[in-house]
Amino acid sequence: MDPKLSEVSQLCELFKAALVRNDFDKCATLLSQLKVLLTAFRSLPPLFEATPSAIHELTVARDIYEHAVILSVKTEDQDAFERDFFQLKPYYTDAGDRLPQSQQEFPILGLNLLRLLVQNRIAEFHTELELLSASALENPCINHAVELEQSFMEGAYNRVLTARQKVPHETYVYFMDLLAKTVRDEIAGCSEKAYDSLSINDARQMLMFSSDQELSGYINEEHPEWEIKNGHVIFQKAKESAPCKEIPSLQLITQTLSYARELERIV
Amino acid sequence: MAMTVSSAGGLLAMLNENHPTLKLHALTNLNAFVDYFWPEISTSVPIIESLYEDEEFDQRQLAALLVSKVFYYLGELNDSLSYALGAGPLFDVSEDSDYVHTLLAKAIDEYASLKTKAAESNKAADIDPRLEAIVERMLDKCILDGRYQQAIGMAIECRRLDKLEEAITKSDNVHATLSYCSNVSHLFVNRREYRHEVLGLLVDVFKKLPSPDYLSICQCLMFLDEPVGVAGILEKLIRSEKEDDALLAFQIAFDLIENEHQAFLLNVRDRLTQPKYLPAEPVQPVSTETESAQDANAATTEDVQMADGTQAVSEAVPASVPVVDPKEATYAERLTKLKGILSGETSIQLTLQFLYSHNKSDLLILKTIKQSVEMRNSVCHSATIYANAIMHAGTTVDTFLRENLDWLSRATNWAKFSATAGLGVIHRGHLQQGRSLMAPYLPQSGSGGGSPYSEGGALYALGLIHANHGEGIKQFLRQSLSSTNVEVIQHGACLGLGLAALGTADEDVFDDIKNVLYTDSAVAGEAAGISMGLLMVGTASEKATEMLAYAHETQHEKIIRGLALGIALTVYGREEGADTLIEQMTRDQDPIIRYGGMYALALAYSGTANNKAIRQLLHFAVSDVSDDVRRTAVLALGFVLYSEPEQTPRIVSLLSESYNPHVRYGAALAVGISCAGTGMSEAISLLEPLTSDVVDFVRQGALIAMAMVMVQISEASDSRVGAFRRQLEKIILDKHEDTMSKMGAILASGILDAGGRNVTIKLLSKTRHDKITAVVGLAVFSQFWYWYPLIYFISLAFSPTALIGLNYELKVPRFEFLSQAKPSLFEYPRPTTVATTTSAVKLPTAVLSTSVKAKARASKKEADQKEKAEKSSATESTSGKGKSSGDKDEDSMQVDSPVEKKAEPEPSFEILINPARVVPAQEKFIKFLEDSRYIPVKSAASGFVLLKDLRPSEPEFLSLIDAPSSTASTGGASATAQQGSAASMAVDEEPQPPQAFEYTS
Repeated sequence: MDPKLSEVSQLCELFKAALVRNDFDKCATLLSQLKVLLTAFRSLPPLFEATPSAIHELTVARDIYEHAVILSVKTEDQDAFERDFFQLKPYYTDAGDRLPQSQQEFPILGLNLLRLLVQNRIAEFHTELELLSASALENPCINHAVELEQSFMEGAYNRVLTARQKVPHETYVYFMDLLAKTVRDEIAGCSEKAYDSLSINDARQMLMFSSDQELSGYINEEHPEWEIKNGHVIFQKAKESAPCKEIPSLQLITQTLSYARELERIV
Repeated sequence: MAMTVSSAGGLLAMLNENHPTLKLHALTNLNAFVDYFWPEISTSVPIIESLYEDEEFDQRQLAALLVSKVFYYLGELNDSLSYALGAGPLFDVSEDSDYVHTLLAKAIDEYASLKTKAAESNKAADIDPRLEAIVERMLDKCILDGRYQQAIGMAIECRRLDKLEEAITKSDNVHATLSYCSNVSHLFVNRREYRHEVLGLLVDVFKKLPSPDYLSICQCLMFLDEPVGVAGILEKLIRSEKEDDALLAFQIAFDLIENEHQAFLLNVRDRLTQPKYLPAEPVQPVSTETESAQDANAATTEDVQMADGTQAVSEAVPASVPVVDPKEATYAERLTKLKGILSGETSIQLTLQFLYSHNKSDLLILKTIKQSVEMRNSVCHSATIYANAIMHAGTTVDTFLRENLDWLSRATNWAKFSATAGLGVIHRGHLQQGRSLMAPYLPQSGSGGGSPYSEGGALYALGLIHANHGEGIKQFLRQSLSSTNVEVIQHGACLGLGLAALGTADEDVFDDIKNVLYTDSAVAGEAAGISMGLLMVGTASEKATEMLAYAHETQHEKIIRGLALGIALTVYGREEGADTLIEQMTRDQDPIIRYGGMYALALAYSGTANNKAIRQLLHFAVSDVSDDVRRTAVLALGFVLYSEPEQTPRIVSLLSESYNPHVRYGAALAVGISCAGTGMSEAISLLEPLTSDVVDFVRQGALIAMAMVMVQISEASDSRVGAFRRQLEKIILDKHEDTMSKMGAILASGILDAGGRNVTIKLLSKTRHDKITAVVGLAVFSQFWYWYPLIYFISLAFSPTALIGLNYELKVPRFEFLSQAKPSLFEYPRPTTVATTTSAVKLPTAVLSTSVKAKARASKKEADQKEKAEKSSATESTSGKGKSSGDKDEDSMQVDSPVEKKAEPEPSFEILINPARVVPAQEKFIKFLEDSRYIPVKSAASGFVLLKDLRPSEPEFLSLIDAPSSTASTGGASATAQQGSAASMAVDEEPQPPQAFEYTS
């Protein structure tokens, strides 16, 4: 076996072990080393050179990146998640037909969908969805995300919140928590448009806060333009959009006339 | 199956990694895949840019290259270029990809525009050294790869004369490269100063060569206006032992002559050193002759001496030098010849002989015109006289006038002026006899008997005869000018003086004319204004301001107009140098000055096809309030564009459909001027509808323009020529046609058959330099709108379509060459027959013409033999000459044969005999026979070509020995009328000048 490959495999085992131990610092250093080592393999994306040990290398690399994604979820680092996921993706899309399907594939894809939902990147969510095959859509991990999106779009926020109880995979919990916040933001946005003001009680209920302190903390942090006055939350209406611009009729008339005059002069 | 990635997302994500190795890995791979994934990468450009800006990152250049490529794909070439510069050595100039090609083009453009801007504002160029490095890398690469033309083009464009020189000297065929380069610099270098720099460099390179191409050097030097250099080269050549070098010197002189730059040529001539023992014979026999000849008789005797032309001169030289060193003697002899050529005398004389001997003008056309024109209509009457003059320009054949003295006498006043001046056109170039020919009409000192109109006309005629070669006549014209107070005579004298001293910038003459101007007489002042311009052509002197000041002062519109044109003439060819003056003129309140401004634009940028000038002219053509200015602005386009005639029809096509008849008229003439003599199909198509315009003067302009375009185009090459001839005839015969268009038709028939059907209108010489005289001639000609006598200026633009081969003696030896085209394609138009009369009359006419010809030939032969007999006693080459006269008959038989033997299939080639008519379109078919005795010094298909004699021991047969003005032969039917004089002419070799005819009015 290629010494480099064996080195990578060893490190990979160490990395996985550290991950299981939740030793995140160790993980990060190992992962960084692994990634650098991986760049030396020419069989990996984007080159995909057909070396004899290509399949093995690809499998190992995929494994590393899958664990990197899981690590990022555990460390609750969304940027790292995105980074690692994109690096992992070619192994699914482009090398998928040469490798045995990974156990982790659907959970990770589902996680990514969930992430997009959390970040309210609906367009990208749908793009990702389009790339999946029909059979993949029936996988519970994917299906979960799809249903969530539907509820979210319908405005059935309670269904979204209750979905936390029936996650298909333990890693999903982190995103489900985040999703609650996204839902709250949505509600806040809608109320702002729908009402001039709300009583603090109603507002608290609607935004699913258990106490007024939480509510005022949220307002201070996210919507400083709101006001709390006389037991009411006053939504500062978004500034009246500027009145429709007037058509500069006089200017247009003179312009047209001068064009006509020029035309007259040319011929 | 090879796998590929479907997205660059993974690599882009990797860019965000912290580890630099990962970033580098991502960058390298992205760079490899950018061609496919640039849309994805483009969203991440900011990240990559930040990598480039990160001073810590050691692969900044790679990042820059990647960004540059992405910007290239996005079409943001400016950004792309600036990042490519940042990529430094990673940007590979030799890579063969669209990206590299596009960016290189962009880089060179950018660099060139920066350099040009810097050069124009006279500031040191503030140029990114990286950009410069790229361009230099590119230039070096071109030179290394042997793509010299590319390198030259780029070097010129980028104003890198050092690289230009390198490219030229390193090329494998330096001569070809040099000629390519000089061509390019004329065609594409728009700024005059810079062109001069390039040419200066070329001359330097030329001189360094082991075997310099003197022909090209001298052309360049002429452009640079360095007479000293040219004189040096010429002198070196004629001092050489070898005869070939002398031939080359003569050829150079002829080539220089063709550009008609009088002042320059005079300068060159004066700088040639005199031989140590100056022969007694003065070097310029003509000038002394004219000066000394005070009365007509004396002149005649002198003329007889002069008849032998150069022969007399060249014979005279050896006669007086037996005592001197033989080397000096040869030098002296060659110098005399060279000076003869440089002064234009040799070429003018040969041209004159050619035009005279090959004259094929059709008197019947004139006769038809004469008959159909109403007696009382003086406009058409004068137009006929103009047409006659133009038709016979330079041929010295004035048969038509002689036959119709009665009819001619109807010309009165100014018509008489132009009738007399017409003689000058007919005798154009008759330098030796010009003065005596015109003597009867010239103002006589003492007896104030003659009509001032004919006297003025005669002075004008003298100017036309001596146009641009007026050394000899200048003095006389000055005297005439100062000794008269009659404004008509002053008018003629001013025009004559202007023509004779064209472009010499002679201060004394200028002052004389200025005095006339300050008399503030409308008629004389107009001519004075034009004349001042002619005198100062292209000098851009301070005088223009003076003239402009007077134009503001005077009340006479005629004077203002004359001055305006004069000012325009002074800035001829100055390009940007004239901008201040043009600006001043075009912003003037007075429409006439603005009108002059249009001409100034036309002449300053003549033949440059300068975009700025065209834009300005088009602007005035549509926006000025005065019709005159608009008309002139359109017309001026013709001058700016004559070097690229293909463009003109396209540019003016819209204007030719303008509602304003003046603009249409201008469009017609613009096409006529720029496409003159080309027979270009688009031009004809554009003019055709205008010839039947609703407005009479537009028809006039279109007819004249059409004639200018079609001059010397045979019906066989464009059938519309025949249709046009018939149209002209119809208009002339039509009783109800407007006078204006009738006049146009008459003039058009004249122009169409100009110079005995042996000349064309050419504004560019063979080396593609502009011919000053021709351009100036046409510019003044276009003034005929206001003043008909100026029509004669068109004769300045005529250049003979001939190939004249010369031997070392500057004689025309008989030799044959090939025209590899059907003879009918370039033949003369058939002589017209009397169409209106019955066919019974037709037949005899046809017979008559041949018989008369035969008769004429017989009598000429007789005369020839007589003259030979006389000569034989004097010279020893009797046998040769006798044979030559026999040859001549064969010659004329050959000329006739294609017409006579119609039934035979037309041959695909034609043997021509030196000197021969070679129309411009025919030039590419001309081939010199391989086993010929003579080979040309340079391969040219028209003009004067010096021939190297490979068998000098054999006797030479000369053609063109018959000097002009034995009027008998061509006149056909007139032969009998002139019997007496013809007989006497035949006796002594050179005839007396034709008798004067008097007006009987």
